[in-house]
Amino acid sequence: MALLELDELTCRFGGLVAVDRVSMRVEAGEVRAVIGPNGAGKSTLFNLITGVRRPSRGRVRFAGQDVTGLPPARICQRGVARTFQLTALFPGMSARENVRLAAQAREARRWQFYGGAAVFARAEERADAVLERLGLTAIANRPAGTLSHGDQRLLEVAMALAQEPRLLLLDEPTQGLSVEETAQAVAMLSGLLAEESMTVLLVEHDMEVVFRLAHRITVMHRGAVIADGTVEAVRQDEAVQQAYLGAA
Amino acid sequence: MRNLYALAVAGILLALAPLALPTYGMTLLTEALILGLLAMSLDLMVGYTRLISFGHAAAYGFGAYACGWLLLHTSLPMLAAIPIAAAMAGLIAIGVGWVCTQASGVSFSMLTLAFAQLLYAVAYKWTSVTGGSDGLAGIPRRPGPFGLHLFATRDGFYYLVLAVLLAAFLFCRALVSSPFGAVLRGVRENEAKTRALGYNTRLYKIAVVAVSYGFGALAGALYAPFAGFANTELLFWLLSGQVLIMVIVGGTGTLVGPILGAGFFLVVQHQLSNYTEAWALFFGLIFIAFVILAPEGIWGFIRTRFRRAAPETEYRRGVAGAR
Amino acid sequence: MSIPAFLVTESVNALSQAALLFFLGVGLTLIFGIMRIVNFAHGTFYMLGAFIGYSAARLGGFWFALAVAPIAVGIAGMLFELGLLRRLYRRDESAFLMVTFGMALVLTDLIRLGWGPEALQVEPPGAFSGVVMLMGEPFPTYRLFLAVSGGVVALVIWQFLERTRFGLLIRATSQNAEMVHALGVDVNLVRSAVFGIGCGLAGVGGVLAAPLVTASIGMAATMIIDAFVIVIIGGMGSFPGSLLGAVLVAFVQVFGEYYLPDLALAFMYLVMLLVLVVRPGGLLGREA
Repeated sequence: MALLELDELTCRFGGLVAVDRVSMRVEAGEVRAVIGPNGAGKSTLFNLITGVRRPSRGRVRFAGQDVTGLPPARICQRGVARTFQLTALFPGMSARENVRLAAQAREARRWQFYGGAAVFARAEERADAVLERLGLTAIANRPAGTLSHGDQRLLEVAMALAQEPRLLLLDEPTQGLSVEETAQAVAMLSGLLAEESMTVLLVEHDMEVVFRLAHRITVMHRGAVIADGTVEAVRQDEAVQQAYLGAA
Repeated sequence: MRNLYALAVAGILLALAPLALPTYGMTLLTEALILGLLAMSLDLMVGYTRLISFGHAAAYGFGAYACGWLLLHTSLPMLAAIPIAAAMAGLIAIGVGWVCTQASGVSFSMLTLAFAQLLYAVAYKWTSVTGGSDGLAGIPRRPGPFGLHLFATRDGFYYLVLAVLLAAFLFCRALVSSPFGAVLRGVRENEAKTRALGYNTRLYKIAVVAVSYGFGALAGALYAPFAGFANTELLFWLLSGQVLIMVIVGGTGTLVGPILGAGFFLVVQHQLSNYTEAWALFFGLIFIAFVILAPEGIWGFIRTRFRRAAPETEYRRGVAGAR
Repeated sequence: MSIPAFLVTESVNALSQAALLFFLGVGLTLIFGIMRIVNFAHGTFYMLGAFIGYSAARLGGFWFALAVAPIAVGIAGMLFELGLLRRLYRRDESAFLMVTFGMALVLTDLIRLGWGPEALQVEPPGAFSGVVMLMGEPFPTYRLFLAVSGGVVALVIWQFLERTRFGLLIRATSQNAEMVHALGVDVNLVRSAVFGIGCGLAGVGGVLAAPLVTASIGMAATMIIDAFVIVIIGGMGSFPGSLLGAVLVAFVQVFGEYYLPDLALAFMYLVMLLVLVVRPGGLLGREA
């Protein structure tokens, strides 16, 4: 049973079909890249999976359970974490506090008026561990809004990891990063993902990143899936090459 | 540790006040503490969660009327009427919070204002219960239980207010430093992200509204036996504005700042009103100036001067400086 | 009174009320359309119009007041925007809210200082101070005048927005300010002008309202809520929406006052709530 199953997922905005009958199966431990030109519907797909948007048709199944149309907070609580294309952080809080809030969410069911110190301690421990893993310990006390763009992207990934998700959705994590920063980020991520054998859905434009991190690739074009397979197979696929791969 | 030290010093100074101040000063100080409690309660919403309420007078007025009514029409002692009034307000505020948080941003603020206006209109018209435009008068500081007269005297009442404020402060301090408070700050900084992390932010917002209005009503409930009356002025939107000014000028998101803001406001108001009729105008301008030029408020300014700034103040200063 | 006569007179009454509300709401919605902010001080500008109108009327009569007061209020609005609001464009929404709220406090106190805390009386112009017969019932001429002028002004504004170059600029800027800027237009100037016009329109409403409603300090809060409800119902930034909202609210208020007096405010609150919940973008609008 696949960890994530998308079944004829469709999203229409009036006349525009942003996501067109997308079906996909992502196995546990797999790193799946979703690529496609701008406007292909990738971010909308993420929104559908995480409950930010309701699909017009189709279903989303996570760990065997139908989660279509559940509110984002609920889906998140089941073990789905995501990062955003436009960096979404808490700018006034320190980097550590950002990650701590994410880690704390694991225990989100309780109000935590009392026993707060213990919750904080556990969350901070997790936060520090994740920050260390991503090489961000040096900036842990700085306000997130003052960090460099590269650090902010990584911080967002750190927050997602702190939630101990079963499925991680990364929306263009290397967007805006310099060549050097990208290389560092990829090195970090590839080690991390292999270690934790995390299931990841990755939207990326940078093909080098895709080739280094992904096991399988799904190619989208104008809202529909036009190819789906291993990295090698997709590289060879004619439809894909025609659609856009030449411009990598 | 430094915080506790400062708090203890402040507490001692305030406790010694009756020995040093004349009657007029004591009355002013008592009122300042009551308004300080009101302002601090608003800070929970405005400063920690960025829920801008234009209707906080609703809490104050409700608390005053409820407590006043209880003291006039039942034989409950003051020490019982006050918390009961506050608790009633807190419960009703859950409903108000549920309604207002249906919207966000400007719409939220408008809804809070509308609710306060509604309460104002009700108080004005429901003469049998609220005394209409005359309000409730002759509210007694009924002593008890068990013949405890301690708090009914002028100084005794002052100590009651001081004790309530300190207790409320400690409670709020614990609240905002708790995991619950961390979520509130998340809502303030980026609500969408907080939801994306899995928090049901609506519930948190409703909770903070309930606690905020509850403490605001507590302030009102203290006011009723303090002043001996409750009237529609306590529900008027100008009062909501004045509390907001106290919070902004004092320093949002600090708990202490608004209390200082209340004191500042009251003292300046009393001094200015001796010289000019235009003190409200003056305060409006100060308010605008602070919002534009010094959003961290007086206390925020002091904090960055004399202590290591909290990350968020650093950030706000950084942002302000970058402009 | 027979039922049809009642319905007709109350409906015209409602239309006169709608005219006043329209003047109040159209400015708010235009300002929102251009600047994406809700001018909390809008109700106070309306009040200012009433009070300036009072003074101007004592100088030169009603028509003089109608000419002078809106211009004065419009200029005041523009100065406010230029002096204070300009500095806030890079801040968040709550800063705007609080500054305009502060402005409402300041203006309210200025009015109190300038004209005293008592309510003021303004006489309607001689030509309209009598009654006309409407379906056999006497009906104040002034209210008829209001209803008609509301319609006329709505028409004028509509044509202005649709046919004139400046109207086009306004519509364009409210849809895509960056594009307009890229085309070489000084968007800031457009914003200031619209803010001034919006306040000026509120001022018109204030002057026209003065003979009917005794102007008072407490008006400011009620007015801004009314204005907000109108704009919410019709949709933030939608000109036809403000007309629709004004008419709806006026009818609810007039007929509601008749059948369920004292509940008017609660009703408004409920209507606002309903619209905010069911259609956050308003009935005709496009922004939530």
